[in-house]
Amino acid sequence: MSCYDVSRLLFDLKMNESIYQRASADLENVMTDYNLSSEEKDALRAGDPRKLRQLGVHGMLCLYIKRLSPQFRDNIYWAQK
Amino acid sequence: MPLVSALAASHAPNILLEPGREWEEFMDLHYSMAPKSSANRPTLEQQKKLRHDAEVAFSTLRADLELAKPDVLIVVANDQFVNFFWNNIPTFFVTLADRVRGQFTRHTFDYQNHKELGKSIVRAGMEKGIDFSYGEHIELQHTQTVPLYFLLPEQTLPILPIYVNTWVDPAPSPRRCYQVGELIRAVANSAPERVAILATGGLSHFPGSPRIGEIDESFDHELLEIMRNGRGRSLVDYSLQDLLNAGDSEFLNWMVVMGAVGETKAKYTAYMPDFVATGWGFVSWRLD
Repeated sequence: MSCYDVSRLLFDLKMNESIYQRASADLENVMTDYNLSSEEKDALRAGDPRKLRQLGVHGMLCLYIKRLSPQFRDNIYWAQK
Repeated sequence: MPLVSALAASHAPNILLEPGREWEEFMDLHYSMAPKSSANRPTLEQQKKLRHDAEVAFSTLRADLELAKPDVLIVVANDQFVNFFWNNIPTFFVTLADRVRGQFTRHTFDYQNHKELGKSIVRAGMEKGIDFSYGEHIELQHTQTVPLYFLLPEQTLPILPIYVNTWVDPAPSPRRCYQVGELIRAVANSAPERVAILATGGLSHFPGSPRIGEIDESFDHELLEIMRNGRGRSLVDYSLQDLLNAGDSEFLNWMVVMGAVGETKAKYTAYMPDFVATGWGFVSWRLD
């Protein structure tokens, strides 16, 4: 099964500042913009890149969910592409 | 003019991040994929030494590049979900922009893009059976900016970013990348400009994988020995899976330079595993 939509959401978290800001405030609302399975939604809510990888998402995109974690929000990684 | 210089260098972000807090944050993020690896973190002193050793290697490459007096530097790198996504993944992409820009933490990059050379490569490819994708806008990312920070800090020499898909399955074969390099060399030989080429990436690393932190040093040393002996062509018989098993998928960028240098022996090689994720490699070929 294609991971396009969940991958797109993760890509947008890094590359689209407005999506990132919206997701920081309300991930549930942003997830309604994408065609996601219940498993994908659960993995996003859990914020665990390893769970996303198990669903077939590219490993580097999985890491982008960490941008929503308070511990990683200001990580230097987001200051470069 | 003949191709005047060829270089290859790693583009790991931590090469340009500051030792200490920035390295720690970088490792925190990447090791969230495999927390076990956090036990192997380099000390601050090791981080500083690695940065110093990388600067020494880059200074050698920069001296060779300046000695060759190029008019343009082709930069062969992979996109990492900055310009391309699954709505369209080009196998090989040539940049036809007027200028190319990017940002890496505090560092800003802004280069003239040599689109005429780019068009020549695209046209030559179409005649020879290699149909490049191309476009008029890209954003530079660490796969280009990390080496460019050290090699072209004045940002006065035009560059030409060419992308290879090393990142998304299916990716091209080492043989096909070598053929692209041969084509680039042929175009450079008939171009009025003095053309230099740089491949970025690698060497062994497993980003975004549970294997993050593993480095296949033995495979990397094998590759470097092949380059020192001018036997890059022998690598066309490697399968993509051979490279993937060793965490060397970005060596596909280097395979383009293998095709461009042919049997020329590498004049300089340096290698340093960073104790974080990546075997940093640096190579220079003199083509005069």
